[in-house]
Amino acid sequence: MSAWLVLGALALHAGGGITPEMIRARHAGARSLAADIVQTKEGRYWARPLVSHIRLRWTPARVEWEILDPVHSTVVIEGERLRVLTDKGSRDMGAVAGDPRFTALLRFLRALASFDLAALERDFSLSWGARDIVATPREGAGLGVLKLVRLEFDDAGEIRRIDVETAAETTRIEFRNVERVR
Amino acid sequence: MRRSLLIAAAIAALTVAAERSFRMEEDPIRSLVAADPVAAELFDRYQERSPFRGRIFLEANGLSPSEEEALAATLQGAGYREVPFVSAPDPARVLDLAAQLPAEEVARLAEDAALQQRVADALAVAALPGGGEYLRQLEVDPLGVGPALVTRLARRASGSAGAGAAPRVYQSPHPLVYGRVEKVEAELRALGPRVHWIGADFFALENYQAVHHDILVCTALTLALNLVLFFLFTRRFVLLWLLVVGSVVSYLAGLLAIRAFYPEVFTIVLVYTSTFVSFNTESLVYLSGIEATRRSRALLGVRSAIGTTLLGLAMLLFGRLVLVRQMAIASIAGLLAFLAFLLPYRSTVDAIRFRTFRLRGWVAPPWLLASICGVSVAGLLALGPPEIRTRIDAFRFQTDGLAREAEYFQGKLEAASLGNVAAVPAPAEPSSALRPLASAGLVDWDAHPLARYRDEAAQAATLGMLRDTWPDVRRRVAELAAVGGARLDVSASPPGRRLGEWDYLRALGDIGPVLWMDEVRGARYVHAGLLRGPRGPEERGIVQLGPRPYYDALLTGLSRQLGALFLLGCAAMAVYLAWIQRSVARTLYVFTPLLVVALGFSAWFRWAGSPMTIVHFMGFSLVIAVATDYTSVAISGDHGNVELSKVLLAGLSAIATFAVLALARHPILRSLGATVVAGALPTLVFALLVRLRGEEEGP
Repeated sequence: MSAWLVLGALALHAGGGITPEMIRARHAGARSLAADIVQTKEGRYWARPLVSHIRLRWTPARVEWEILDPVHSTVVIEGERLRVLTDKGSRDMGAVAGDPRFTALLRFLRALASFDLAALERDFSLSWGARDIVATPREGAGLGVLKLVRLEFDDAGEIRRIDVETAAETTRIEFRNVERVR
Repeated sequence: MRRSLLIAAAIAALTVAAERSFRMEEDPIRSLVAADPVAAELFDRYQERSPFRGRIFLEANGLSPSEEEALAATLQGAGYREVPFVSAPDPARVLDLAAQLPAEEVARLAEDAALQQRVADALAVAALPGGGEYLRQLEVDPLGVGPALVTRLARRASGSAGAGAAPRVYQSPHPLVYGRVEKVEAELRALGPRVHWIGADFFALENYQAVHHDILVCTALTLALNLVLFFLFTRRFVLLWLLVVGSVVSYLAGLLAIRAFYPEVFTIVLVYTSTFVSFNTESLVYLSGIEATRRSRALLGVRSAIGTTLLGLAMLLFGRLVLVRQMAIASIAGLLAFLAFLLPYRSTVDAIRFRTFRLRGWVAPPWLLASICGVSVAGLLALGPPEIRTRIDAFRFQTDGLAREAEYFQGKLEAASLGNVAAVPAPAEPSSALRPLASAGLVDWDAHPLARYRDEAAQAATLGMLRDTWPDVRRRVAELAAVGGARLDVSASPPGRRLGEWDYLRALGDIGPVLWMDEVRGARYVHAGLLRGPRGPEERGIVQLGPRPYYDALLTGLSRQLGALFLLGCAAMAVYLAWIQRSVARTLYVFTPLLVVALGFSAWFRWAGSPMTIVHFMGFSLVIAVATDYTSVAISGDHGNVELSKVLLAGLSAIATFAVLALARHPILRSLGATVVAGALPTLVFALLVRLRGEEEGP
């Protein structure tokens, strides 16, 4: 079935542009994903553009966001719980996870890390471009903190870049060395 | 021909008017409004803030990812949108309560290690895509007073709320599409005990399904049974035609009459209108086949029957329950419309002849009837007034599955001391109103937020600590954040202010899902979870705000009111009959079986130990409206064969109509049907078999 989807995706690719089928085919059956990321944040709370190097590890049950520099720390998302590991120790951020705004944000991050289009579509209106998807939060989805999310793919439907805009900042995430295990 | 065309045109016009002007309301609970405006206002405001309104709640344990996905897709397809249980409070409002933290806890939060940890955590969360907003929390609350306060204030509730995953909350779609809600409920049921769910939508769905089943079954069966009866007694199809078409007219007129007073009609009233066939049968039967030689006698019977029916129904108009008023309006309008419909068919109706039969009656002297009435009244007095209580469960339909779910979530609320919240009048400080109730075992003081209120001296110590540590905290947090690349502008002044008990409760209501105090018409109330229902004079004035106790109390009050109206209706009918029949003995004859039935009901309620409910009173009113007709027509016609034949036909029609309600799913209809059959059947037998001695003639 996956092979047919991939073939379908390739056929569509020949016509140019990405499609939901292509993205689903690319991520269907994935058991884990790992990627190196360069993230740049700019905005009201940042003294200057903050560039971080990050290692992303995703499995269906867990997302790990390991910040390698400038300050080493790891954020682990499991379900609706969020845990932070720093050189000061490990801390379950129950209070953060209990905040409905962050619960919605965690849901978004889980969907984003797994490229789960169905989950994204529940909270966002998706607009499909030739190589990108622009997602705007649906009213009442609890994601008022986000203004716009743009996902950019390469010709093969692999994720290359994500831009996230909030009222306070813009985040640019560039993907390198995406490894997927099926 | 022209007459039939006019009738058809009138029916078409009424149908269009009814179809265009109606909005239906499925849940009969929505017809309930408290008479006491203060109680109604307290309840409405508490419920308006309720995080349960307009939402459904799901609690799922151990679902596979594919089950989760399928459920999410079904919910989305039905228009449900996941929302947070409570809106995130404004951090500034939370920090208003800062003085409620002990001074030593503030000192601990201000230690350098704690600040380093807090800033590191904040920077890590802020490093997530879109997570920068979290730095605003650090800027507003560098010490982490908010999370510490939430932990302190929620300790008791969260520690005892029971096991289970955190419920997910979904905003209901508007308008509700029952077919889609049905799919959601079916999928939830299929997932078995791993999923719990609750929400007003499921009650509305089940009531909708029950009522639609009942409309179909009861109307079809009632019509079929009445057609058979009519055919057996008259062998004339014209009467059947008059009954069917006239019932359509009365049904439409009843609905339009409700519309004249109310914008919405309760669907259960539609089911009830299937009983119009019974009222119409009576009118048609008593007005048909009147012989010229016995015209005055027959018309006396008609005036007695229709007059008492209208009086019984009119009494229901004085009730406060909208549902009952709608039933009464529909019945009165339906009856009058049916009589108007018969006017052009007077000659047809006059030509009808009924099959008669001979019954061996038993002649009772007036003194015996008076004795039976006296004994019955004495028995009623000896038994005393029965307990009157109506619970919400008897008032609306719910399947066992939904009842179990309601019980499950009620248990969770009770564990958090929110199962039975009440407003307690507090002319002075709220603690002075609650402490005596806690001593009396009515309130769990430890579960109330006032148990964690810190007095003004303790608050002053905390505020002093905040003032002393703030400049260093502000500088250190900005330094630590700068190392991580963040730029923060922490407020120059520390948070918190001294709060009295009322301000403390008001502030808690502002940031949480539950109101803890209210002020209505100049009087203040403190809200508290009750461990039992209020009783005794010192607990008067307490208003229960939970839907179950509130509606139970409301329905019980309405039941008593309807009981009083019922007695007034009986008195009005007695006066009317005494006036129209001009004979005490004849009036006694009409009321003898009813008094015996009343004694029987009273004895049965005593023996069974069950209370009388509002539905019983609705049923008694119908018994009086329907069953007095049998005895009044029988006595007006001097127990003539034609009159008895008419009484038998009308009685069988009424009993068949109300017995059919036993097949209804809705508990109101089942109970109503059982009550009317139990009351009408003995009265019918009495009217057919017992005769008043001949010399006791009326006018």
